[in-house]
Amino acid sequence: MKKSKVVSLKEAMQEIQDGDCIVMGGVVEDRRPIAATLEMIRQGKKNLIILGECSLSEDMLVGAGCVAAYRGTYTAIGAFGISPCTKRAAEAGRIVIDDIGHTDVCLGAMAAMAGAPFIASRTTFGTDVLNPAYDNVAKIRALVRNKEMIPEKKYILMEDPFYGRGTVQLHPAMKSDVLICHVQYAGEEGTVRIDGSLVFDHFAAHGAEKVIITAEQVVPEEYLRRDPNRNQIPCTTVDMVVDVPWGGHPGQVLNFYDMDIPFLMDYVGKAKTEAGFQEWAESWVHGPKGHDDYLNKLGASRLEKLRAIPPFGYRPRPKGGTGS
Amino acid sequence: MTEQYAKAQDYKPTEAMVIYGARMLKEFNGKTGIIGIGAPLLATHLAKILYAPDMKMIVETGQADANPIEVPLSIMDSRLTYGSSWQMGDPEGLFPLMRGEIDFGFIGGAQIDKYGSLNSTFIGTDYNKPTKRLAGTAGAVDIGGFSKATIITMAHQKRRILEKVDYLTTPGWMVKKWPEGKMVRREEIGLPGGPIAFISSMGIMRFDAKTKIMYVEKCFQGVTPEAIKENTGFDIDISRATEADPLLLEELKVLREQCDPLNIYRTR
Repeated sequence: MKKSKVVSLKEAMQEIQDGDCIVMGGVVEDRRPIAATLEMIRQGKKNLIILGECSLSEDMLVGAGCVAAYRGTYTAIGAFGISPCTKRAAEAGRIVIDDIGHTDVCLGAMAAMAGAPFIASRTTFGTDVLNPAYDNVAKIRALVRNKEMIPEKKYILMEDPFYGRGTVQLHPAMKSDVLICHVQYAGEEGTVRIDGSLVFDHFAAHGAEKVIITAEQVVPEEYLRRDPNRNQIPCTTVDMVVDVPWGGHPGQVLNFYDMDIPFLMDYVGKAKTEAGFQEWAESWVHGPKGHDDYLNKLGASRLEKLRAIPPFGYRPRPKGGTGS
Repeated sequence: MTEQYAKAQDYKPTEAMVIYGARMLKEFNGKTGIIGIGAPLLATHLAKILYAPDMKMIVETGQADANPIEVPLSIMDSRLTYGSSWQMGDPEGLFPLMRGEIDFGFIGGAQIDKYGSLNSTFIGTDYNKPTKRLAGTAGAVDIGGFSKATIITMAHQKRRILEKVDYLTTPGWMVKKWPEGKMVRREEIGLPGGPIAFISSMGIMRFDAKTKIMYVEKCFQGVTPEAIKENTGFDIDISRATEADPLLLEELKVLREQCDPLNIYRTR
């Protein structure tokens, strides 16, 4: 009998240390580890360095004072606007930001996955991403717990020595201390099956020291192994598995549920101010003792209305009307 | 046949922006594009119904030939997955740009300069304490840098259309060559493509073949060239401006009833 990697959400989040470099799976509000995020806030994490994006999950961490710096490509929540807590923190100079391109993030994760120190491209040529005046890598390196996770330099320009196609940029590998990733299915030994976009989770898993998976359903490992081609993260790279149904609410999880638009509108509205965010956190983070309490507070009927239906994997909107 | 045309009072400027955006995609029927979230996605949705049924849409979260039935709200909306040819991740969605396989990109921004470069990162002079933090680079860097052509769309406001943007996120025709940051033509640093049009809520702007500076090509119905000049943050050339063909009632009907019946994108 192989050892099960299934633990509680509380135990899993205790693995994350203050000052860690973290990547959170999914993107915007889609397939985000929200239940894990709220547990991290309850545990009072500090000085985290966020890599990749600062969207819904990360914005909640910023609002709760868990984040020192962010290095990535996106600080908004889709049609819901600019990430409200991140916006306030940035405008007050309370968070160190180092903007890089979206392809940069993918290439950095790809280099880490390949065990390569860096990779070359021309993706951000011509832009202020390469402006030395906006290079905050040294500041972030000073804040991080584990210096191996943040490079000494943001980039280097050199002549392409192989094909002679002019100047190229060398991007350092983007490693992390922990990847926290919410998925549809995980086996008890850690095999992961994702439906919908993989974002760059299938790369980031291999560049992370620790991989924590929260899953809508923990299913028999044997079931996932009947069709290994359909699995995207192997058991060999996963450290912990947590059973968290509705763990991505209020965002979408393909084939499970659609986004809770009123909840998201309430979040982005309240989080525009410090007091508003605290009020929101009191209701949804500190009030409930944990994820079960959070779900009870939402109520079964509210959740049932979000359930995805086949064959679409989302919940089709009612036609007409003036809202949703 | 005049009844088929809409009158200016029948629609909002943002609806016109989306519809003219959709019309511009006619020339990309059969081609492959990467589309940004927001107005570009809504315009693409409309274009696929009316003008470019054979256009192939790639999304930066890894959907190839996405065919959403309902308009998506975010870049990884579940609506993008069902009906796609292939669903992978961000690397697989973005790398076709670097391989030179993307015929056009369609994006928005918060500020645009006279050479069609965009800013979607921050407003202000201090990066570490911006007046206004924006969405960041997202796909805007990569799409604007490596598509064979870029179409830009955003609301027409004087504070947004400028001589110079606060932060250059998306490369237009004149870009920064590092490490010095000297302004050069994009082809000088090996960037393909470039912006071919800027569709605002007032008209369609193009870029001069020689100077690559933005000028007014078309004014929407009921908008004068002078009004565009008045609402532009630099001295824009209006000498070539003509009136755009009016909107069709059919276009408005499809946009309102099929593409965004719930007015999720607040175009009306």
